[in-house]
Amino acid sequence: MAERAQYLGTGKRKTSVARVILRPGDGATWFNGRTMEEYFPRAAHRVLALAPLKVAGAEGTYDIRVRVHGGGPSGQAGAVRHGIARALVEADPNLRVPLKRAGFLTRDARIVERKKAGLHKARRAPQFSKR
Amino acid sequence: MPRRAEISVRPIDPDPVYNSVLVTQVINKVMSRGKKSVAEKIVYDALEQIGTKTGKPPVEVLEQAVKTVTPVLEVRSRRVGGANYQVPVEVPQRRARTLAVRWLVTYARDRREKHMGEKLAGELLDALNQQGGAFKRKDDVYRMAQANKAFAHYRW
Repeated sequence: MAERAQYLGTGKRKTSVARVILRPGDGATWFNGRTMEEYFPRAAHRVLALAPLKVAGAEGTYDIRVRVHGGGPSGQAGAVRHGIARALVEADPNLRVPLKRAGFLTRDARIVERKKAGLHKARRAPQFSKR
Repeated sequence: MPRRAEISVRPIDPDPVYNSVLVTQVINKVMSRGKKSVAEKIVYDALEQIGTKTGKPPVEVLEQAVKTVTPVLEVRSRRVGGANYQVPVEVPQRRARTLAVRWLVTYARDRREKHMGEKLAGELLDALNQQGGAFKRKDDVYRMAQANKAFAHYRW
């Protein structure tokens, strides 16, 4: 097998996990067997996912392969962003500072709070009844 | 000494299509029950209609419309010696903008067109011509302020 340059990055957000492979190329996308436009119909998600490339000034210079599972579209887009950022750092360690500054390398630790016994949701208490 | 820390303004991201913070603000105001994708569709649909109707860039038209319904003066009640006075005060810039967007969206909801997209487009175009519910509201607020000018010295 011919050795080709490729950079891996795993990103997470909420319950989504994205495994990202960047290869030098012309910006072709492969998201779970579909193109990015098919996978994220909402422009907001596409912009979110590709934000690291924008910071790095590397739009369209990598082919992007992504396997992403778990969670919903927004969480998955965030996971892809995290994964792309990590892969970019592997490709060029100089990008670490700008990406870190933009907050793309930080795993967003906010996840759904667990439901508590005796409450309706994590915090929602049953209505108070005096008697 | 205040017990709580001052609440800072949360920055909102510009929208992906027009790259405009104002558009995001309108989307968020149109959104109900957390359905942002529906709200996006409505707002982008409305902006597109505006673009075809006026032949100008939609964001500029939106900015213009918001500007025409942005209030300068409003009245706030203040208690002085047992009586309540409606005291005219200047509207802080951020609040003025928020009010303008809120009025545009709520009065768009009351319109008679069939879809929210059409309603919003109609209300925005009306606002440009100094018509429509939102402009009327701004005018009312302004007239209240003028009528109570006498109490302006109670400003605090």
